[in-house]
Formats: sequence, structure tokens, C-alpha cells
Amino acid sequence: MTAVYKAILNLVIAFFFVISLEGIARKITARIQRRIGPPWYQNFIDIFKALSKHPFSNGWIFDFGVLMALGGAIATAAIIPMGSTFWTPFPNTDNFFVIMYLFAVGSLGMAMGMVGSGSPWSAIGVSRALTQMLGYELPYLVVMSSVMYMYKTSSIHLLIEKQATNGWNLYVMPIGAIVAFISLIGMLGKKPFDIAVAPAEIASGPMAELSGKYMGLLQIMHAFSIFVEVGLFVDLFLGGGSLGWFLVKFIVVWVLATLISSVLPRFRIEQMLKFYWGVPLGLAFLNALFVLLGWTF
Amino acid sequence: MFTLLVALLIFSVVNYFISKASWRVGSIINALIGSYLIFQVFTIPKGTEVTIGKFLGETLALQWTNAGFYFSFVSLLVIVAVMFFAIKWLDSQKHPAAFNMFILMVTAGSLGVFMAKDLITLYIFWEIAVLSSMLIIPMGKKESRKAAVVYAVMSAVGTYMFLYGAFMIYSRYGTFSMPEIAKNLANDPSTSFKVAVVLLIAAAGIAKSGIFPLHTWLRIAHGNAPDAFSAVLSGQLVKLGSYVLMISVAVFPSLKIFANLKLYSGVPAPNYFLIALGAASIIIGTLMAIKQDDMKMLIAYSSVANGGYILVGIGTMDPLGFEGGVLHVFNHALAAAVIFMAFASVVYRTHTKKISELGGLIHKMPITYIAYLFAIISLAGIPPMSGFISKWMIYQALVRKGMFITAAIAFFGSIGSFLYVFRPLAGVFLGQLPRKYKDVKEVPPIMWIPMLVLVAISFVMGVWPFPILQPIENMRADFGIAPSFKIADAQNWLVRGFSGSWNPVIVFNLFITGFIVAYILYTLFPKPKKVDLLKPHKEEGAPINIYTSGEFIYTPELYHYNTKFYAGFERMYEKHPSWEKLLYMLAKFFHDVGEWIHGWFFRPSPSAYTFWLAMTILIIFWVRW
Repeated sequence: MTAVYKAILNLVIAFFFVISLEGIARKITARIQRRIGPPWYQNFIDIFKALSKHPFSNGWIFDFGVLMALGGAIATAAIIPMGSTFWTPFPNTDNFFVIMYLFAVGSLGMAMGMVGSGSPWSAIGVSRALTQMLGYELPYLVVMSSVMYMYKTSSIHLLIEKQATNGWNLYVMPIGAIVAFISLIGMLGKKPFDIAVAPAEIASGPMAELSGKYMGLLQIMHAFSIFVEVGLFVDLFLGGGSLGWFLVKFIVVWVLATLISSVLPRFRIEQMLKFYWGVPLGLAFLNALFVLLGWTF
Repeated sequence: MFTLLVALLIFSVVNYFISKASWRVGSIINALIGSYLIFQVFTIPKGTEVTIGKFLGETLALQWTNAGFYFSFVSLLVIVAVMFFAIKWLDSQKHPAAFNMFILMVTAGSLGVFMAKDLITLYIFWEIAVLSSMLIIPMGKKESRKAAVVYAVMSAVGTYMFLYGAFMIYSRYGTFSMPEIAKNLANDPSTSFKVAVVLLIAAAGIAKSGIFPLHTWLRIAHGNAPDAFSAVLSGQLVKLGSYVLMISVAVFPSLKIFANLKLYSGVPAPNYFLIALGAASIIIGTLMAIKQDDMKMLIAYSSVANGGYILVGIGTMDPLGFEGGVLHVFNHALAAAVIFMAFASVVYRTHTKKISELGGLIHKMPITYIAYLFAIISLAGIPPMSGFISKWMIYQALVRKGMFITAAIAFFGSIGSFLYVFRPLAGVFLGQLPRKYKDVKEVPPIMWIPMLVLVAISFVMGVWPFPILQPIENMRADFGIAPSFKIADAQNWLVRGFSGSWNPVIVFNLFITGFIVAYILYTLFPKPKKVDLLKPHKEEGAPINIYTSGEFIYTPELYHYNTKFYAGFERMYEKHPSWEKLLYMLAKFFHDVGEWIHGWFFRPSPSAYTFWLAMTILIIFWVRW
């Protein structure tokens, strides 16, 4: 039963903490661009406003896709360990690949629902999002393979424990951590990798048809996704610690990603792919080679 | 067992005449026989052996093993589903009687392959399966005659190498029986002989399951075969190749045979060669599938990629990799069969297989859509469908072995599969419905029930995989691949990897809980107004209420994005080198040489004939002396 309470805590933290952080990110970006920016709770206001409006639905697959997206994101966010074995809701199931692929349920649901809306903008956005996935996942998964190979486990809470004795992976394999961070920016869909959304070119891509509660629910889904993506990075590269430490590290990673993204323009699709399959993938293999040779710190 | 196979072969001919009278009766009988066979494979006790004859003084025999049971069961699932599907679908075909006959022959041939104890019996039934399937392929469109030829040639390349290998073994050990060969190979001192023999036997599997150098027939044959038969081709016949590959690395225990040839982290060099071919197939299959506009060819290329996965998994000979590869046979069989049947349903109603001509069929064929959706979730390896389990196992094996490049290619294939399975989903089923399909209807229940049954099996096995994992564990124990390591732990509901496990029931429950929470949130907030995407089809000139940057939509199909779906990515490898073109250049070269010889030797003049006749006689005499 405790597993269920812990999973619920995961979701509560993912909701309040990440949506606040999104607001803070807007504030940071605004300050970099010398604007005042919205208050930190602006995203809560946005979501509740969206949820309370009368929406339009483009057919049953549109509804189903939104539900599948949110459901998949909730399921994934519930498994993520928060920095220690104690805060691991399901110690038997927190396998890295399970999390990565369960996470894909949400993406597939969103893609399906949005293309089901019948808008060409959404279809273009989804095709871009999937292509981008091909870009960032490859270096990321190679780095993760080398991490799992080194510690001989793919269970995330065990990887956290191993880091407690061995030192943070950020120091053990700095190249891998950098590559994973670059992939993380792509995963978060932040600039320069906001190709899928690209408001100026394709009218926010997948989101073109969202109105009212659909928009609100997908914003919540987005918050859960951020929790999964950043949470995994913190767990796998920044060691363990108490719940508070986990959240502090989470904030640091998030703010760093925001700072980087707020000064960069957008890549084109093929530029993005060439970028990810160039230096980051090469470094990921280099990192794997170092792990194979035992050249880790 | 032998009587069963012979009865099937004889009855297939009888069924031809029944089907000539009424093909529908024939196809119903087919489906009933198939269902009976599924029950039959459970009743045959393991280890049953039947002698069927003699060849070169060696007894030919059938033997019922765990591996044979597993492969027969998977094959029959696919074939029976297609047989039920065909009861209605056949009315769009020109030769239903012949189809009924040959599909029974394919069944008999494949079952024989899985039952064979020696290489010659395997070869005989192999040819029955290949030839009868080769005769079904030309029943499709115009292109399909050529497709059958390509299929036959590629298949022949594999089988001749297989036969050559079999006779090499016979001349050295004097036996064809597989268990005997395995024993002899393990004690043989000659490395080059062992490598040659194993790779020659594997060649049949490489040709049949569409692995890299011999993969080109899949696109042509699967793309042009009669639509429902593509499901059998991709779901079942290709798995004959996986079975032979499994024989060449697992039944002939490659870890023991090549104990002194270990290349990297315990994988022997010949296995590594096969894994490299599998990896090449994953890359080629994925990249080519992404850019196909013909939906059947798209999935044909995906079969190339998935054949690569199976080979990579089995080739590692790691307990996880082996089980993952073998389980992937099941997953891909079911997923590919459902996808091809869904496409057959679409073609049955719309008469086209070009993604760029279709769209919005979800409004007309929702059940086909649901079947396709769940099949692609399984094919892309997303939980809670069973496709995830095999991919998870293969990844675990690759990571554990530290095979990073192969792992990266496997990841590429997996993410790439999201791309290519989404293309028909978006292009054919979602989006805007073209005007010419406004009267299309859902296919009748006899066509969608088999699809949903296969999808349901795949789904249940994704949530509770232990019934399907147990036979594979038995197989692994038979082949002696780390028999003490237990992967399926049904007591604790766990699937175990190397020091890391997961509980499929929890994953499913989480998914369902997430979905329910999402649904509750959904119902809490105001009800939506409906946007009717079919409005222009109902009222002439009525616009749809979707965002189009200020224009009204009167011709919805113009707003359907399905041509060059991944243009940004496709552009990057437009000018790729083509293996197929190279093969065609070779074929043309031989054709031209043949023409030249033909022109010289077969001049249509009596004097030339006399000249060559005299030359031949002279040569014969010269050789004699």
C-alpha cells in the first residue's frame, strides 16, 4: 500500500513543483530578454483557465489520444524514483527501459490524438516531433547503456545506490553526463530543439487544434513529462540523497536548461539530426569506450 | 504426426475440388481444419518420434520438440487467423480455389519444417512451403509474377547453400540427424569446416527471413502478394527463416562449437557475423520503411528490420538475448499479421495501397483502425503490448554484453519503428477523408474478428507473459543456454533481466490507473462541442471548423498531410546506394551474357545446330579418352 502513497506523492510533486518551475522558467527567460515576465504562478492560472473554458472536440480519437497521453504520462511519473531507494514507489519495476517505453505511450497518444484532429499543422508537427525523437534518443540511449553496463544493473534505484559509494556519474563519466544533458534539452523540446512546436512556422504544430480542457490536460501531461525527463537525469547522473536534495538538483538542472535555451535560436530538422548524430553520438560512443576500458573517474 | 502432415497435403488437393464447386465451403473447411490443428499441437507429447523413410541409408524422422511446438503454435495462430479472414476476403480474388489449396500446403510444409529431426526432412517440407507459397504470390496484381520469380530465386540461393552444407556434413559425419550433427560438430577439430557448415545452413534462414544481402525479395513479394497472404508471408513464412537461424546457432550449440573463436564478450565470431548482418538489416529496413509510400512495402521493410532483431537476439546466445529473439518471433508474427490484414481490409474497400491516396478512414473503418493501432503499439515495442517484452530482453542482453554499436542500431530501429508505423496511421486512418471514399464501409465481422483476436492475444501476453515465456524457457533449457538462470518468474509476477526486473502487471495497472485518472479529470470539466470532420461530405460546400490560418476548407483532402511525411528526414538519405539496384545490374549482366551465348549457340540455322552437335560429340569423345 505504501507504494501507492509514494506514487501519489510523485504525482503531487510532479504537478505542483514542475508547474511552478515552468512559471519560474518563463520569468527567467523574460529577465534574460529584459522583460518583467509573468508571476511564477502564471502557469497554474493558465491551466485552470483552460480547463474551465468550453472546448471543441475533433472526434473520438482526439479525446482518446488526449486521455492516452495524460494516462501514459501519469503512469510513467508514478514510477520515477526520487533520489533514493526509500522514495522509489515500485522497486521491482523501475527498470530504465520500462520507463523509457512507458513514456512513449504518452507521446504516441498525443501524436495520434493531434493528427486525429484533422489539422495539417498538427500532422506536420507530429512528423517533426518523431524525427526529433530519432535524433535525441540515440545518443541518450547509448550513454544510458554505458551507465547500465558499468554498474551491471538497469534498475534505477540500484543505480542511485551505486552512485552513493562510487560518486556521482557526473564526475565518473563527465562526457556521458554532458551528452545526456544535450539530449535532455531535445527531450524537453526547449530551444534550439523546439522544432515540433515552432509557433512561428507551423502554428504550434501538434497543439494547433487544442482548446479549453484539452489544452489544460495536455499542459498537465507536459508537466509530468518534464518530471520524468529531468527526474531521470537527476537520478542517473547527480547521485542520490534526501527528497529535498532531489528537488534542489531538479531545480538546478531545469534552470540550466532554461538558461541555455533562452539564448539560442531554433534548428531546422536536418540540422538537428546532423547535430545529434554528429558530436553527441560520437561522444556517447567515446564514453562507452572509456567505460569498456575502465577509464572512468 | 506424419499421418497428420500427409493427410493435410492430400486434403489440400481434395479441398481444391471442393473449392472449385464452392470456394466459400472450402475456405470454411480450411478454417476449421486450422482451428483443429491448434488444439492438435497441444496434444502431441514432447519427444514423439516418427520414422518416415530412408535416404542414402539414413533414416529420415520427425521429432516433436519444445522449439517445434512453439514455432508451430505461432505459425498456426497466424495462418488460422488469415484462413478465417479469407472466408470473406476471397471474394475479391480471382483464384479462390487455388488459394485454399496452397494455403493448406503452406501449413503442412511449415509444420513439417518445425517437426523435422534431420536436415533432409527439413529441406523437403521447406520446399513444399516455399513452392506452394510461391504459387500464391502471382495471384496478386500484374507486378506479382515478377515478384514470384524474385522470391523463388532468392529462396533458391538460400536452400542450395543449405543443401550444400547438409551434404558437406553428411560426407564428413555420415548423418543428417540434427542432434547427431550437434554432437559431432562440438567435437570436430577443424574450425574452417565448422564455420563453413554453420554459415551454409544459416544461409537458408538468411534468405528466408530477409536478412541483409538477400532481403530484397521481401519488398517485392510482400508488396505484391495477394493482400491477406502478405500476412502469412510476413507473419509466418519469414519465421521459417528464423527457425533455421535458430538451428544454426542454438541447436548446433555455437558457444561450444566455436569455444576457441570467441570474438568479444563471449560471442563467437560466426555469431558476430550473423549479428552484423542482422544489424545491417535493421538499418536498411528502418530507413527504407520510413520513406515508403506503398503501405504494404512499408511493413515489408519493417519485416526486414524485425528479422534483424530476431537474428541479433538469437545470435548473442545470451539467455536474455535468445529468449528475446525467440519471443520476438511471436510478437512480430502477430503484429505483422494484424497489420497486413488491416491493410488487406483497407484495400478490400478502397482498392488502393498508396498512403498518399488514402486518409481519414477512421471515420469509416473504426474497428480496423483499433486493430491496426494495437498492432503497431506491439510492433513499436510499447507496453502494455507483448512487443515490449522481447525488445526489453534484447536490449538487456546487448547492454549486458557491452555490445554498444549493435545496441545503438537496435535503439535506432526501435525509435525508427515509431516513425514508420505512424506513417500509415496518420496517412491512411487519421486526418481528412478524401471525397471518393465517402461511401466506404467497415469490413464484415468475419474479417475484423480474427484481427481483434490476435490483438487480444498479444495484449494478454503483454500483461501476463508467463504462458508464452514458459515454452521459450523450456527451449532454452533444451539448448543448454544458462539453464539455471530463470527469466520468467511467475510466482512473483516478475520478468527478470540481469540484476533488474519488472512486473508487467504493475506496468499494466499503472497504465490503466493513469488512464482512469485522466478520464476522471476529463469528465470533471465542461463538455466539448463537436467539430464534424465529415461535414463537407454531408453538405456540399460546408466548411470544417478547424484552424487553417484564415481559410475555409471546402476540399478536405487538400488539407491531409500524408505525402512525404518525413520529408525533412527523407531528404537526408535521398541519394543512398541501393543494394537492390546492384542486384538488378548483376541480373542484367547475366541476362546479357545469356543473350549473347544464346545468339551464338542457338542460331536459328541448321548449319549452326549441326556444327554445335558435332562439337558436343567431339568433346564427349575427348573426355571419354
